[in-house]
Amino acid sequence: MNAHDSYRQGFPFTTALAALVVLMLLASQARAELLIRITEGADSAIPIAVVPFAESGAMPAGDKVSSIVQSDLTMSGEFRPLEPSRMLSLPSQRSEVYFRDWRLLGQRYVLVGQLTRSGDRIEARYELFDVNREERILGETAGASASNVRTLAHHISDRVYEAITGDPGVFSTKLAYVTVTGDGDNARYRLHVSDVDGKRSRIRLESREPILSPAWSPDGKQLAYVSFETGKPVVFVHELASGNRKKVADFPGLNSAPAWSPDGKSMLLTLSKDGNAEIYRLDIASGNLTRMTNHWAIDTEGAWDHTGRGIYFTSDRSGGPQIYHMDRAGAEPRRITFGSRYNARPRPDAKGEYVYYVHQRERAFHIARTNLKNGEESVITRTESDESPSVSPNGRLLIYATQQNGTGVLTVVSANGGAAYSLPASDGDVREPAWGPIVR
Amino acid sequence: MKGHERETISTDTAPLKSPVVMSVALHLLIVGIALAGWSWTSPISEPEPRTISARLVSPEPRPSPVVDEQDQRDREQERRQQQERERQQQEAERRRQQEEQARREAERQAQEQARQREEERKRQEAQARERAEQQAREQEAARQKAEAEAKERERQRAEEERKRQEEAKRKAEEEKRRQEERRRQEEAERKRQEEAARQEAERKRQEAERRLREQQLEALADESRREREAEARRQQEAAAARAREAQMLSESEKYQALIRERLSQAWYPPSSATEDMTARVQITLLPTGELVNARLVSSSGNTAFDNSALGAVRSLSRYPIPSDRDTFERYFRQFTIEFNPQRLR
Amino acid sequence: MKLSVQTKAFAMLLSVGLVAGCSSTGDTMEDGAYGSDVAAIDQDGGSTVYGGADGDGVSSSRLSEEERQAAREQAEQEALRNITTFYFDFDTSEIKQEARDVLVAHAQFLANNPRQNVRLEGHADERGTKEYNLALGERRANAVQRFLIVNGASRGQIETVSYGEEKPAVRGSSESAWAQNRRVELVFK
Repeated sequence: MNAHDSYRQGFPFTTALAALVVLMLLASQARAELLIRITEGADSAIPIAVVPFAESGAMPAGDKVSSIVQSDLTMSGEFRPLEPSRMLSLPSQRSEVYFRDWRLLGQRYVLVGQLTRSGDRIEARYELFDVNREERILGETAGASASNVRTLAHHISDRVYEAITGDPGVFSTKLAYVTVTGDGDNARYRLHVSDVDGKRSRIRLESREPILSPAWSPDGKQLAYVSFETGKPVVFVHELASGNRKKVADFPGLNSAPAWSPDGKSMLLTLSKDGNAEIYRLDIASGNLTRMTNHWAIDTEGAWDHTGRGIYFTSDRSGGPQIYHMDRAGAEPRRITFGSRYNARPRPDAKGEYVYYVHQRERAFHIARTNLKNGEESVITRTESDESPSVSPNGRLLIYATQQNGTGVLTVVSANGGAAYSLPASDGDVREPAWGPIVR
Repeated sequence: MKGHERETISTDTAPLKSPVVMSVALHLLIVGIALAGWSWTSPISEPEPRTISARLVSPEPRPSPVVDEQDQRDREQERRQQQERERQQQEAERRRQQEEQARREAERQAQEQARQREEERKRQEAQARERAEQQAREQEAARQKAEAEAKERERQRAEEERKRQEEAKRKAEEEKRRQEERRRQEEAERKRQEEAARQEAERKRQEAERRLREQQLEALADESRREREAEARRQQEAAAARAREAQMLSESEKYQALIRERLSQAWYPPSSATEDMTARVQITLLPTGELVNARLVSSSGNTAFDNSALGAVRSLSRYPIPSDRDTFERYFRQFTIEFNPQRLR
Repeated sequence: MKLSVQTKAFAMLLSVGLVAGCSSTGDTMEDGAYGSDVAAIDQDGGSTVYGGADGDGVSSSRLSEEERQAAREQAEQEALRNITTFYFDFDTSEIKQEARDVLVAHAQFLANNPRQNVRLEGHADERGTKEYNLALGERRANAVQRFLIVNGASRGQIETVSYGEEKPAVRGSSESAWAQNRRVELVFK
């Protein structure tokens, strides 16, 4: 009786339910819009047209702004600038840009601009267009003295790079490196500072004794380095603008491996004043030392992690040199590398994603990196006597020293091991590159 | 392979041989047993071999006695004379016997004639007596006959009267019986007709019922047939719809893959991209595959990333889309593309 | 067919071997020979290492026996002290056996000449990182310093410095160049 009742009551209910289901089906069918997932991008670099800038007034001799921009973008490994000879037109302002033409040429972006000379200054007015969206994504003016056209060009490159990739460009940053010429008593060690493309190199220090481990202050105004000019390794800090320099560590034994803290107030040093190589933190203002490590093994090559609190360093406490991380002074170090018996000179990126280091594989020394999230190690370089890795401030590029025909050269690679190029040969051995910070 | 063939051949011939061998062996065995049995049966009772007497010997012809030619001729003549004498004797005997027989015949004929005459006389006397007696009997018979005839006439008249009455009575009864019969027959006929009518009615009723039932069954059958057909039609239509759907889906998937491929080639994830960035762009196409509109519906939070997605979407001059209009309308008129790098460079 | 022949041959050899094995049980010739070989090596080694000639019978009437002995030792020590470079294996700071006598001589010389100072320059080969090699060169110099102090030199006489891989003795990227560059040099002032 109850069942019958409930049946009789249930009938309209089931009808309603069925109707609801149908409605839902219809609704879902209406809502089930196609979704296509794209999980991989193009393997190649982004096509961009850097149209030669229009010029009004006398321009200084030498490379054109647009060609410097073009080579900067090429160097980044992320762009594939179009040869100007293949361009169908040479617009210099928005009204002259026909997107269809650039689309036909397969270009994604077009950079146009005009240079105007006024007195000693050169003003650049430049615009960047997204060919597919037919939108201007950058429109600015910038100026520099006529002698600093490269500065202007690098600035434009940085702006273009950032507008497209979302990461700051590093084309205006500086490199510090050491060259060696001669032998024995004739040996000359020179500390250089140059643009990242190796141009506009200037010698900041020349010595008969070795110069090692240049390190940039976070503001890019000072360099710390190890100089043997007194017959032993001593750490100096060198103010680039003035050329003033001072000893910051001249203790018995080793004084080496300077590394500035992110706030620029202190630096890590390797000192052996207490018996063997240990890492100390030097407060620059007070000159106070704090011992970071304490172990009979070699502890050296300290580098601050991205937090500015913990450090990476090299220690052979396990038998051979390996990379360790330590949260703070005196904390228990955690070993990072296990891939081979020789891993040294850690250089973490600014985002805390990877740590780069010298990595021995069989008889060769490469630069490798470990993904700090998952511990995966990958070898980045294909050359075989690789040393002194230094990561670009945006984490996209890596510079390191290697041997080419028995001579030391500097090579820049994408941090993921992609495109690579060698800096133009300088006289003698080139070594110890240090990538300077982005200076705002 | 050859060895194997040889092997199979040899295994084939073996059973062929063996029956022969077997049979020979069996026969030998039987013979052996028989021989053994022969020798085992008591040799004492063995009869003398008959082979000795059974030997074929042709009997030697007896030498004919040497007789004189003259001697034989004399003896022949003598034998002939003897035979002549014997014949003459036999002839004389035969003639004597014939004479005897003729004498006995004459005797028998004389006796027969005497007996026949006696018998004739007796017969005539008997006839005369018979005739006298016959006359007496005939007179008596005539008188008795007249008497009997009178009686007979009387009796016949009575008899006829009785018969006549009986006949009348019989006729009346007959009539009555006949009427009775007719009445009964009429009753039976009526009953029969009634029964027939009833049966007819019943038959008709049954027929009607049957026809109704059949009609109902037919209706039911029709109904179910129609239902079956409808069901089949529905299923067919559903299958066709599904097939169409599947075709559209597979068609759609094909073009989805094409679009995915084209967009993957056209997308340059910016260096600032991370694997947890996701941007969604809703696009609207013309049936020609041309892009009408692209709208960022979900931002990654990174402008460069969003722009790279929009740029990729807009970079395709024409989207690969199915020529089938239904599929286009269903899937490709408007859809969403999600950009989410999984394997960054 | 072939296999069966081989198998047969093998089986035959096996049986022959078994027989031979049976017949050779109890033969100890090899053991004896091996034992004598080992002994010979030991004896040879012993003779070369320890079998030094004792006195050559050279005599001088003007010098006392003690004086002659001292002169002889001094000559020997001076000869040893001509060696001022000591080599190391890759990524180690362990003083090699053959360097010890020389370093002992240096230590005694320093002990005998308290005003003599020495500078220990530690070096590494070019492989590996510069800073680590700097520390490695120092460790090598320190190892030599400790050895000298243990053998009589005083700490105040000794100065250490590491040049790491910066001042190779030999240029080049060969095993031999690297071996010559992994070193501690004693520089007397």
